[in-house]
Amino acid sequence: MLEVKNLVFRHPGQSQDYKFELSIAAGEILGLTGKSGSGKSTLLDLIAGFLMPVSGDVMIGGQSLLPLPPEDRPLTILFQKNNLFDHITAAQNVGLGINTSLRLTATQQNQVDQALDRVGLAAAANQRASSLSGGEQQRIALARSLVRNKPVLLLDEPFSALDADTRAEMLQLVREIVDEKQLATLMVTHDPKDCEALGATKTTLLQGKKSLTFAQK
Amino acid sequence: MFNRKRFTLSLTLGILTAAVLIGIIALFLILLLIEGGSDLTAPNKKIWRILGFTAFQAGLSTLLSLAIGITLAWALSHKSLFFGRSVLIALLSVAMVLPTLVAVLGLVTVWGRRGWFNEVLSTLDLTSGTWIYGLGGILLAHSYLNAPFMARSLLQRLEGIPAEQRKLSQSLGLTPWQRFRFVEWAAIKGSLPALCSTVFLLCFTSFAIVLTLGGSSKYNTLEVAIYEAIKLDFDLPHAVILALMQLAVCALLVSVASTFRLSSNAIDQRRFNLVWKEPRLTAFAQGLIIVLFAAFFLAPLVAILTDGINADLLSLFSSSLFLKTSFNSLALATASAFLTISLAMLLVKARVNTLAPLRLKQSKSSLALRQVLSFSGSVYLAVPSLVMAFGFFLLARSLFSSIYLVAPFALVIANALLALPFALAVLGPAIEKVTVKDDRLAFSLGLSGWSRWRLLEWPLIKPELTFVAALSFCFSLGDFGIIALFGTQDFATLPWLLYQKMGSYRTDEAAAIALVLLTITLLVFLAVPQMRKGNPHA
Repeated sequence: MLEVKNLVFRHPGQSQDYKFELSIAAGEILGLTGKSGSGKSTLLDLIAGFLMPVSGDVMIGGQSLLPLPPEDRPLTILFQKNNLFDHITAAQNVGLGINTSLRLTATQQNQVDQALDRVGLAAAANQRASSLSGGEQQRIALARSLVRNKPVLLLDEPFSALDADTRAEMLQLVREIVDEKQLATLMVTHDPKDCEALGATKTTLLQGKKSLTFAQK
Repeated sequence: MFNRKRFTLSLTLGILTAAVLIGIIALFLILLLIEGGSDLTAPNKKIWRILGFTAFQAGLSTLLSLAIGITLAWALSHKSLFFGRSVLIALLSVAMVLPTLVAVLGLVTVWGRRGWFNEVLSTLDLTSGTWIYGLGGILLAHSYLNAPFMARSLLQRLEGIPAEQRKLSQSLGLTPWQRFRFVEWAAIKGSLPALCSTVFLLCFTSFAIVLTLGGSSKYNTLEVAIYEAIKLDFDLPHAVILALMQLAVCALLVSVASTFRLSSNAIDQRRFNLVWKEPRLTAFAQGLIIVLFAAFFLAPLVAILTDGINADLLSLFSSSLFLKTSFNSLALATASAFLTISLAMLLVKARVNTLAPLRLKQSKSSLALRQVLSFSGSVYLAVPSLVMAFGFFLLARSLFSSIYLVAPFALVIANALLALPFALAVLGPAIEKVTVKDDRLAFSLGLSGWSRWRLLEWPLIKPELTFVAALSFCFSLGDFGIIALFGTQDFATLPWLLYQKMGSYRTDEAAAIALVLLTITLLVFLAVPQMRKGNPHA
């Protein structure tokens, strides 16, 4: 589903290359571990379109993403924090995944309600995002990825800031949703336990002299 | 309790300082009331009208500054890479300390009846007339001085938006307007009440601008009315009523403003070098905003520069009046800066004892002490410069035969007191941070006295100290409120001399003096190595 082919990236003004090579099937979760600063998040930025590679390609369903701006790429990304806009409600935050002008039809409104219900936060619909706990905020963000309904899910350490119980709940919820929607999922984490809990295939960073390589075994 | 002895000296000095500071303000109030005496009447219709206009122009000025500030900060935050960006941003903070009369002269040169703007228009047989004398000019000058301050503070907020939120808004495909509504507005709105009330207060107590650009008495503010009552009409009881009124309103404004705390959401330090990809029209609009603002802001400064250089600088430099005046200005500003820092340090060092758990036991009395120490310095935020000058004027008259003997002292002290609230706002948190964070380690190592200062405090608060020194030096250098009452041919400062030259249409000499003032301000303020960013009220 998601394929990263010979992808090479270099930060402006640096000589070191980042090289990436991997492929993820629908319903599969690939976990990427490695020290912080090792370029894990760089890969997510490249796939999401925040950074442009030097060479290589990123494809979803056989179609190259490189010509597309971030908003047109068929994927959803979940960060460690700041996934929501603080001063609007939980439901509005989810609604942004459907229509950024927030003018929703009855059907779309219904979708939002269902997604909130799916993550167990229907009651929080009209609360401001800033009044929710860290775990609830992550679940709202997950609800948004549900209504966006894109085939690829990128997880940028979304469990790191959570306490143990909340974390377990979240991991469970992600696994269920990935199975349900058959999402090709790429997860970046510094904690290998996350990979185990999610039953993810694991990949770690290979550090060469001139380059940092992530390649699936 | 075992700690109490140790800090007796700093506490005693701090309490003494606070007592003197509160004593001065109390003395001024008493002097005002005695001077007013039986003539003290309720404010008449005329005074209410002046108050009304003062508030009206301050409100409008605040709105204008806010509009320009938000627009500019927005444009700058999206254009992160262009030549001269950092210089422009550094200049924004200079606006805060620009001598008001220099700004006025620059603005008149550009926008006045025979200014640059009308010269350009006249080639098309058009003219914009003389709108600069009146409400138009007041608003222009107030936005000129305050919009940059707004923009600078708001830009900092916008740059603190977490990288994730920027990525998210790209990922969701938010339009520029939606991004403003969902992301950027949330980042800035918390600081707007504090910023707006600060700017409102500054415009409410503005003196030099209204005096020079106000034109007719229709456009009088309380400050100018006080000045005229003392200097022109010799009607001191009337001045007293105005001053008491001004004090009351300012006290009210300050106490309202102090309830707005700047929300200090943790600012994301990681620089995310994501270049916004804007719709073409938006990108063009942002570029245009920056160019227009840069022109608006720089033109008056360039006007001062070119006119000043074209004027006969040599003959100015050889005039003994100018040399004497420059010496006065530099010496007074230096003394003021020293006094500001000394007062602020005495208060802050004493206050920190009431905060640090290892020093004084937290109790009701230590809390009360802390409040007294804070109040004694920040109360001067509510004392506008003309009221302060009036207080010293009355004091000098009741104690000495000639007020002009005490003029230098009044100038140094008054300007130091005016800068004190800003100094406290910057130095207070810095010292507190060092103390609270490092007290345990410092005590366990037995680090105290001189070595504690040299190894711990000085390196950590050096940026704040130099910033405060530069700030109070520039405030004092550019002051026109205090010297307006005390200045004479025999005892003048550069702004006072500048005002005389402007009044007698000696535009060449005025431009040359303005150039000197501008140069000193730029040198002092930009030479401060580590410009502490942002809002002195933060």
